[in-house]
Amino acid sequence: MPETLKFHFTPVDEARAEEKNVHEKASTNVADTIEVLQSQFPGAIAKVSVYAGEYTAFVKRESLLQVCTALKETLGFTYLVDLAGVDRFCEDAPRYEVYYAIVNLDTGKRLRLKVLVDEEDAVVPSLTGLFKAADWNERECYDMLGIRFEGHPDLRRMYMPEDFAYHPQRKEFPLLGIPGSLPLPPRVPEGELTMDPFAAARSGSPAKSYQEPKGEDA
Amino acid sequence: MSVATPYHDREAIFSFWPRHNETLLKRLESKDAWLSTKRGIEVSRVEDALEHEMTLNIGPQHPATHGVLRCVVKLDGERIEKCVLDIGYLHRGIEKLAESKTYQEFMPYTDRMDYLAPYANNVAWCMAVEKLANIEVPDRAQWIRMIMCELARISSHLLWLGVGLMDAGAVSVFLWTFQGREDLYSIFDEVSGARFTVSHSRIGGLATDLSPTAIAMIRDFATRYEEIIKGWQKLLNRNRIWIDRNRDIGVISKEEAIELGLTGPNLRGSGVPYDIRIFEPYLKYDEVDFTIPIREEGDCLARYHIRVEEMLESIRIINQCLDRLPEGPIRTDDAKKAYPSKDEVYYSMEGMIHDFMYTETGVAPPKGAASYHAIESPKGELGFYLESDGTGCPWRARLNAPSFTNLQGLESMMEGHPVADIVVLIGSIDPVMGEADR
Repeated sequence: MPETLKFHFTPVDEARAEEKNVHEKASTNVADTIEVLQSQFPGAIAKVSVYAGEYTAFVKRESLLQVCTALKETLGFTYLVDLAGVDRFCEDAPRYEVYYAIVNLDTGKRLRLKVLVDEEDAVVPSLTGLFKAADWNERECYDMLGIRFEGHPDLRRMYMPEDFAYHPQRKEFPLLGIPGSLPLPPRVPEGELTMDPFAAARSGSPAKSYQEPKGEDA
Repeated sequence: MSVATPYHDREAIFSFWPRHNETLLKRLESKDAWLSTKRGIEVSRVEDALEHEMTLNIGPQHPATHGVLRCVVKLDGERIEKCVLDIGYLHRGIEKLAESKTYQEFMPYTDRMDYLAPYANNVAWCMAVEKLANIEVPDRAQWIRMIMCELARISSHLLWLGVGLMDAGAVSVFLWTFQGREDLYSIFDEVSGARFTVSHSRIGGLATDLSPTAIAMIRDFATRYEEIIKGWQKLLNRNRIWIDRNRDIGVISKEEAIELGLTGPNLRGSGVPYDIRIFEPYLKYDEVDFTIPIREEGDCLARYHIRVEEMLESIRIINQCLDRLPEGPIRTDDAKKAYPSKDEVYYSMEGMIHDFMYTETGVAPPKGAASYHAIESPKGELGFYLESDGTGCPWRARLNAPSFTNLQGLESMMEGHPVADIVVLIGSIDPVMGEADR
């Protein structure tokens, strides 16, 4: 079978930090907070990147808890807004990263931290002890990407049932799903189950739930 | 005599996700009631298991849970000792789907997240992409987006009010608020051609301009509904039954609200003045005059007051927007960043090529770019964190859904309340499962 050809127009253009973004907000300018962290914990922040006026501090995994404790206790970043994982799926290790969005309600600043996680050792210290809000987000990250959170009191799956064996947001998980990965009832009240929910993955067409009227010539 | 139906045949009974239910129950048994531990309230253990202890499963198919929310509660008599929420029954994996769609193609999926205010989701997505790709939006489009976002807020709060009152036993208000939603649907229909899932906003602007009829309809709505909403306030603010059902129910203090990560009216009901429209103004919110209602009590009644007052503030914003609506283009003119107008597509070769290229590839933000943009949706902070790999599809699209974080708070909020208050509590948190389940 010949390979399916598809034309991809991919104008790859590197991000330029110096370009002024029209949607830049004053609240994301947290250079001073990052400086404080850098002086307080030398070597904890591996890299700082800026895009669209948003600062991202790449924190080393072993100093994440220290940094977050300092942020919460002394720097006033008390409100955890978001926590999620990203599958980088690239040549240069590590494969995953977890990002944290924390807000300081008093000064009106928004900070983003990132932790790089290796594929073989996908464990990150849990923030549930500091922020109760991290609970469900960490569960979701575990469910979707399989990153484990050390010290989480209740690391169950968030969306998928416990009977499911995969982590669907990893890049290698097929978009159409894996046939047989979810136990489905063998029969419905009307009789045997005839419809195949994974028809698309098996390269068939899904069964119609209605009867099409017959054409005049039929 | 044996009965030959599959329901009586033990072998034929299929149990969905047996391991899942097992872990859910194990969690319920092992968990500590967070709020009572925090506040130092002793939970009295009753010895007689036959009379008092009970595990009750509510949902996911229950009309009062506002969608497919499953609550597994441990009861002591009629009081909830602790509760575990189970979500994911509407999980479609839209974050994963976004990775194989171009930025514009993903727009219809955002309609189906918070399906009570689809326009706000459209705008949130567009603004996140515009920040990532650094696209400027013309003024007129920004003002129109603001009007429509506020209409979406009213539409969402109207449903919350009607359904919340129906949960508490007052059916007539449900019919009145749905009359309001019907009027809003007519406006959305006139503006975008669709009543429910509008998909009207575009990256770099809007699909179509407002017609004079639409502007007249919005103006008419704004003038009529100010009086109507004030009438509902007259009915409810001093209503004995409504106040008794809501006062001191689900009390969350300021510190607890921040720790639980509540957003939107639920956070402001506890006295935290956090509203993205003020915190980091987007569109033209820094140019209009409005206030954000804040209450200190943190109970269901406070959340009710905030939402109703927010509707009146929205009408104030809409009136100002209509007065200040400038003339001009509704979409940016750069063909690499937004769709060309239909006139160009039909009557010029370049226009057609641009239209084709935009559908095929769309906007391609620079490689390695990552940005987060949030708006204040009716439910709270709705943000998108996007990462680009330099192609037309996002490498990672993360949706920060307000209903998800609010539901997490609900789990703790339920502790210590009678079963009958579950319905009122769910209503006051105002979750939409389409958004919470992603």
